[in-house]
Amino acid sequence: MIAGEFEFCAPKTLAEALALLGTHGSACKLLAGGMTLVPVMTLGLAQPAVVVSLNHLSGLDGVEDAGGVLRLGAMLRHATVAKHPSIREHLPLLAAAAAGIGDVQVRHRGTLGGSLVHAEPAADYLSATATLGARLCVRSTRGERWLTTSEFFVDVMTTALAPDEILTAIEIPKQPAGSGSAHKTLRRVEGAFPIVLASAAIGPGLAPARVGIGGVGPRPVVLDVADELRRGAGDAALAAIGDRAFEAAQHALTDLNGSGAYRREMARVYAKRAVTAALANLRAGGRS
Amino acid sequence: MAFIGKDVPAQNSPALVAGAGLYTGDVKLDRMTYAHIVRSPYAAAKILSIDASAALELPGVLLVVTGEELRAKDYAMPVEGFGKGASLKPFALYPLAVGRVRYAGEGVAAVVAEDPYTAKQAALLVDVDYEDLDPVVDPERGLTADSPLVEPDWGSNVLFEIRMQAGDAGGLIAKAARTVGGELRHHRYTGAALEPRAYVADYDPHRRTLTFWASTQCPHPMRTLLAQTLHLAENDIRVIQPNVGGAFGLKIPYFQEEPLVAALSLLAGRPVRWIAERREDLLAGGHAREGHFTWQAAFEDDGLVTALKVRYVADVGAPSALAGWGQAYVTGFALPTCYKIRDTDVEVVAVTTNKCPWNAYRGFGKESSSWLMDRVMDAVARETGRDRMAVRSRNFIPPDEFPYPQNGGAVIDSGNYPQALKRVLEMIDYANFPKLKAEARAQGRYIGLGIGQELTPEGCSIAGSARFNGWDGATVRISPTGEVTVLTGVTSPGTGNETALAQIAADQLGIDVKDVRVIQGDTSLCPYGLGNFSSRGVIMGGSAVHIAAGELREKLFKVAGRMLEAAPGDLETADGRIMLKGAPFRHVGTKDVVATIYGDCHGAAACGVEPGLEATRYFRHENVYHQPETQGRYSAYPSWANQSTALIAEVDPETGVVKILRYCAVHDSGKVINPMTAEGNVHGGTAQGIGGALFEHLVYDDCGQLTTTTFMDYTLPTALEVPHIELEHQETLSPFSPLGTKGVGESGVTSPLGALCGAVEDALCEFGVRIDRLPLSPENVWTALHPKGGRA
Repeated sequence: MIAGEFEFCAPKTLAEALALLGTHGSACKLLAGGMTLVPVMTLGLAQPAVVVSLNHLSGLDGVEDAGGVLRLGAMLRHATVAKHPSIREHLPLLAAAAAGIGDVQVRHRGTLGGSLVHAEPAADYLSATATLGARLCVRSTRGERWLTTSEFFVDVMTTALAPDEILTAIEIPKQPAGSGSAHKTLRRVEGAFPIVLASAAIGPGLAPARVGIGGVGPRPVVLDVADELRRGAGDAALAAIGDRAFEAAQHALTDLNGSGAYRREMARVYAKRAVTAALANLRAGGRS
Repeated sequence: MAFIGKDVPAQNSPALVAGAGLYTGDVKLDRMTYAHIVRSPYAAAKILSIDASAALELPGVLLVVTGEELRAKDYAMPVEGFGKGASLKPFALYPLAVGRVRYAGEGVAAVVAEDPYTAKQAALLVDVDYEDLDPVVDPERGLTADSPLVEPDWGSNVLFEIRMQAGDAGGLIAKAARTVGGELRHHRYTGAALEPRAYVADYDPHRRTLTFWASTQCPHPMRTLLAQTLHLAENDIRVIQPNVGGAFGLKIPYFQEEPLVAALSLLAGRPVRWIAERREDLLAGGHAREGHFTWQAAFEDDGLVTALKVRYVADVGAPSALAGWGQAYVTGFALPTCYKIRDTDVEVVAVTTNKCPWNAYRGFGKESSSWLMDRVMDAVARETGRDRMAVRSRNFIPPDEFPYPQNGGAVIDSGNYPQALKRVLEMIDYANFPKLKAEARAQGRYIGLGIGQELTPEGCSIAGSARFNGWDGATVRISPTGEVTVLTGVTSPGTGNETALAQIAADQLGIDVKDVRVIQGDTSLCPYGLGNFSSRGVIMGGSAVHIAAGELREKLFKVAGRMLEAAPGDLETADGRIMLKGAPFRHVGTKDVVATIYGDCHGAAACGVEPGLEATRYFRHENVYHQPETQGRYSAYPSWANQSTALIAEVDPETGVVKILRYCAVHDSGKVINPMTAEGNVHGGTAQGIGGALFEHLVYDDCGQLTTTTFMDYTLPTALEVPHIELEHQETLSPFSPLGTKGVGESGVTSPLGALCGAVEDALCEFGVRIDRLPLSPENVWTALHPKGGRA
């Protein structure tokens, strides 16, 4: 139960939403799927004066094939991301990440944009979008700008989004045909937030060959592993990748589900597992 | 028996499954008001002042009440000890904190408003000035001389300590050729009912009556306690238990919120509703477990354990009127569980801390006794190089020695432990497991088998207790049309005991179970009874129904005998008929006999027989010992169900993740009335046992702040983490209950603890891993495997 009154707005157009944000600024919170905002308001951790729902806007939940990239609306629900034929064909890694988020109810309410904006370091989408080289489109009454994931994700639950801006779209280069993908998570139980996760995308000819690791620091870490794999995909290459993941995870945080030291070790394990599984998937021609 | 022992579908289930249950939150009354509780942000603090002026200015706020005001009205809560087992040190308790707070989340003030949102908002405006104190968070430190004190008047933080000795364990261990020992720590966790605590109190100032709807397990004791606290006549109070969405012991009275909500209605002169938020239930809804065992055992080469010495330091949280602290006593009392060990020396120290008080939680301490004994048996097996099953069997109380006087004072009613263990190991193909394990290892996988041997004392009966005792009552009524109503003092938390009671009544009266309606949970309708706790629904309530229905059966047979010109002793009943044994063609319809008693009471068949068809009878369990002076023992537990569990788990050595691959159990609770609902109970208990062993953990920081106040942080297993349970029943009847029944309400919750610890050690045996703490979280298992840290 949410204590305290707040103004609730349900604009029909993006222009109206942007105008509301322009007027109310940081007194305002955007409601997408509500998977974070509602519990946070119930606990009294956020007490916005104005809540602007994005659920009545049109045009923010599309999947647009723009040649070399897919342009995804920020209001796409996880269930759609997991099942959409274009996303499954061209961004199998993202589809795999979406399929494991929360439970059935969460996947039908929660949104791609909502999760990215919340920027929980262990969220499934953070490592996946960082690995895939996504760019994020943010809009305000002042205009539009495009950010890379490394520009967008600033710190734990902190992004470069200004108080008057809305994340409207995510543009992701298509994975090359026949790519191998793998999204591997360490969770306490099904539906829980991952403790550590790794998202690997490996294209034919190792172009690209990347693994993104989440839950091991304030921001996702992406390793280009083409050099290691070019020397052969054996135990030595995997060990070298694991060592790099371990090093990259030196800022891993401690919380209830794992100490920083444990998370570093798991960064090593999950980077190797994701790469191994992506290579197997590559050998299978990317077919899951 | 037509219905006993059959899978009769639970009578209440269709409504619950359809979403048509009536819960406390569904109670809607005119002029309803809503309460919200201001809770302490500190684990230990003095309350310097409470300023409610800003809250009272908010439109819609009716009332803000503080502990001081309730103390001035002398609304003190009665606090009860464990009879002749262990007694509590005295302390004053009111529905809200008075003068100081003793744990983060304790209620400090309460707001009543016209709607729940206003109440919650106003609670934020109540300005409490605290002086925070150094809290007691670690019980070991709490026992040191320079520790701050939770209850300054006590002079120490020991809530109670008790030593239970049989023979000379210390002397034997000192002289023994072979000994083994260790330490064992378990963590704080609790049940998570889908429905949080919920109460609606309606005080009628004109009639001066109080109606109290409560998500509780014990309506009648609640009525008694409310009357005592609020200085009301007990017959002016009606407590109604609507459907309950999970209880697990955690809804046994007496929470501070219970008299608080009633007091708020008295003060407001209007109905008041309070429903806990999830965070409030995790903070203040009662916790369980968390303690430290130090143990030592002497044994012989064949695995026979000759002596056992145990010290258990339990962190029971802040003192309260809840039953939870008694769990520490029961853990000691139940030792050495299923085993015949002549010399034992058990010391229990219950330490109070500035954490949420313990409340009863399924298992009630005995899960820890059995867990410890599983660890002891596995250690002795390791030391002797003998098989874990063989070591258990070597030490079991032999089946021909029951009723068996156990060291803690109990008389264990019945059991056949070797048979249950042997059967479960057949189920899991124990003989073939080494081959399975070797095959897995060849594939780079680590699997292990663990054995959990649980013993569950039930039917808690405390000397001198108004709440927990070894009796219950039932009224059985037959209406003129022949249908039967059973009114019982036991209640159901949604587990289906109403169906078992109906089956018992149906078989006594020879009628269809569909013609029996069971009414529970209303103090104005039901005979006084103690409700539901300690797996007692069928043990106490079922036995009372059996006796009461038996009385009506006698009356029916008397009249039927005249109608059939036969002696009542020569009759039997089934299928709605009363007939001559051996000559079933000589019969009369039971409904005709009922009609005769009601309509023809001056006629030839019924004259001289007391009119009416209603019997109220009480059952007292006779395997309870409250007179140690003459009986030489004190035992509060009459009924002892048991279960043998074997599971196979896989451990991922790189991550420490434990996954259960196969789960087999043989459960023995004497005569099973309804195998389907009994199985449902075991499934629920098993899920909670697995949850406690692997996932659930209430974590306090060094300042006494609970860091797990949502289900994001308090990890519960889902259906995907709970394996398929292969379950068989064994029926070793209790000689002390009329149908040979024992309880099943807590079964299954215990054995996952020992079985999972054993399976993880077995899976990782080549690394010599020792498990001496719970939970088996990935990091804890990984750390056990890498004691010095380092590469996975």
